[in-house]
Amino acid sequence: MREKATTLYLGPQHPGITGNMMVRLKVEGDTIVKATTEVGYLHRAFEKLAEKRNWLQTFTILCRFCVPEPDPVEESYARAVELLEGREVPERAKYIRVLVLELARLSSFMLWYGGQGGSLGLYTLGQWTVGDRNYILDLFEELTGGRVYHMYIWPGGVRRDLPEGFADKVLKTMDYFEKRLVDYNSLLFDNAIFQKRAKGVGIVDKNKALEWGAVGPVLRGCGIHSDIRIDDPYEVYDKLNFVVPTAEGGDIWARALVRQEEMRQSISIIRQVIEKMPSGDYYNKIPNPQKWTIPKGDAYARTEAIRGEIGFYVASDGSNKPRRAHMRGAAYVHAVTLLEDVLKGENIADVSAIMNSLGTCPPEIER
Amino acid sequence: MEEIKSKIIERIKANFSDAKNKSYPGDRIDFSVNKETIPSILFYLKDEMGFKHLSHITCVDWLEENEFEVIFIIWSPLEKLKVFVRTRLDRDNPVMDNIDVIWRQAHTYEREMREMFGIQFNGLEAPQDFLLEDWEGMPPMRRDFDTEGYAAETFFERPGREDAKDVREILTERSGEIVPDFAKKYSR
Repeated sequence: MREKATTLYLGPQHPGITGNMMVRLKVEGDTIVKATTEVGYLHRAFEKLAEKRNWLQTFTILCRFCVPEPDPVEESYARAVELLEGREVPERAKYIRVLVLELARLSSFMLWYGGQGGSLGLYTLGQWTVGDRNYILDLFEELTGGRVYHMYIWPGGVRRDLPEGFADKVLKTMDYFEKRLVDYNSLLFDNAIFQKRAKGVGIVDKNKALEWGAVGPVLRGCGIHSDIRIDDPYEVYDKLNFVVPTAEGGDIWARALVRQEEMRQSISIIRQVIEKMPSGDYYNKIPNPQKWTIPKGDAYARTEAIRGEIGFYVASDGSNKPRRAHMRGAAYVHAVTLLEDVLKGENIADVSAIMNSLGTCPPEIER
Repeated sequence: MEEIKSKIIERIKANFSDAKNKSYPGDRIDFSVNKETIPSILFYLKDEMGFKHLSHITCVDWLEENEFEVIFIIWSPLEKLKVFVRTRLDRDNPVMDNIDVIWRQAHTYEREMREMFGIQFNGLEAPQDFLLEDWEGMPPMRRDFDTEGYAAETFFERPGREDAKDVREILTERSGEIVPDFAKKYSR
């Protein structure tokens, strides 16, 4: 006998994601028949505001797109503006940028551990990682003055040079994290609950992932080697040695494997950056921001964040304000087209784990 | 890289007579075409030339020229090149073909553009609301949308805050605290 389908509203507030977003589920028993992403709870019209401010004022709101990981957004905006203007960035600034980006990557992986664990009932993991994340936030505070939002990577370079003794502190923190990573992984990957609930759940089809524009760990979890840091290298990633991990299966388990290896690679990148960091200037000074005009044209710069490709399109009409600043977030594709397809046939209880695994970030969709 | 770029440009120009190319340094190729050509050129780039990844779709409002510019940014993982395909739409009647059969994720972009700029996509089947709810009137991302007027109409001052008095002054009045001179100069 066919069961009657019921409509279930998941969200707008629930623990699977950062921010507010609703998924409307049509369920038969426990099984999802149809899922629809409903957004609109978080629209802040940042891109409209950007049109009314000058290039530097814009930057202070544009970096607030994504709460867990604001630095890649800053970096892609800064680089798009530099590309458009043809502004050179000093070599030291590029190294500092990579250092900040990788620290940000580590800190948002910490949040991911918390979310992925929390969505399956493993709350201890989140307590550990979010606690340890504070050590990175401490570093950010010393470097930039802010813990979560930094406004540090700006057009022309970075805002300040590294403080004295900062490199040693970073290295010490990295030594600590390398040890802690073993604990995190044994807590997550050796856990029978996680193994049972992650393997074979939330499977993204390899062909669909390619066709439908999946990026980052979702694509790499399908066994496809793809990373903007390697494919379309920016800053100084082409001078650093690192491996882009892939895993087969396309399920939550595969994506988790990819992410835990990426953390190890990030630690290695940070060590290399500190070792190779040249001395010199850190900022190519921009003129008075009120009079700073950018030649007419457009540019697109993209960065690899933990969820995948983040890009910034900027267009200028030759004035001191952007004509258009439009961000492309990984979640724009993952949380709408891909999520709606992946959720079909899954269990209600797995929805938040799948959302977390796909890197759902509503602020990126709505902006 | 330059060799591959010029080969791609030649092939596109041979197949699409209306494609105009503008040269850029680095890995960027730039074509502008008529709006009728958009589906066929994107299909060709994707299926014949390996530009598999749709990176971004965006729209710019050129109010002075009374035109919208829609830009598709696509990426070839094989050749490591990105192509900008751009087209101009008449601002008074912005209609173009939808391309969500070529890339499924374009559907989301098109819904947002329809809502924010008022561009109509032929054959786009989706509910009208995406980010906004029951929006009537001018689409908000258009340049001539009156942001300040909208804010003045929609939002209102909280009672008791109309005078925009300095908070410090109010607090001093209430508590009778004497404000030192150096602090006064920061008051409004």
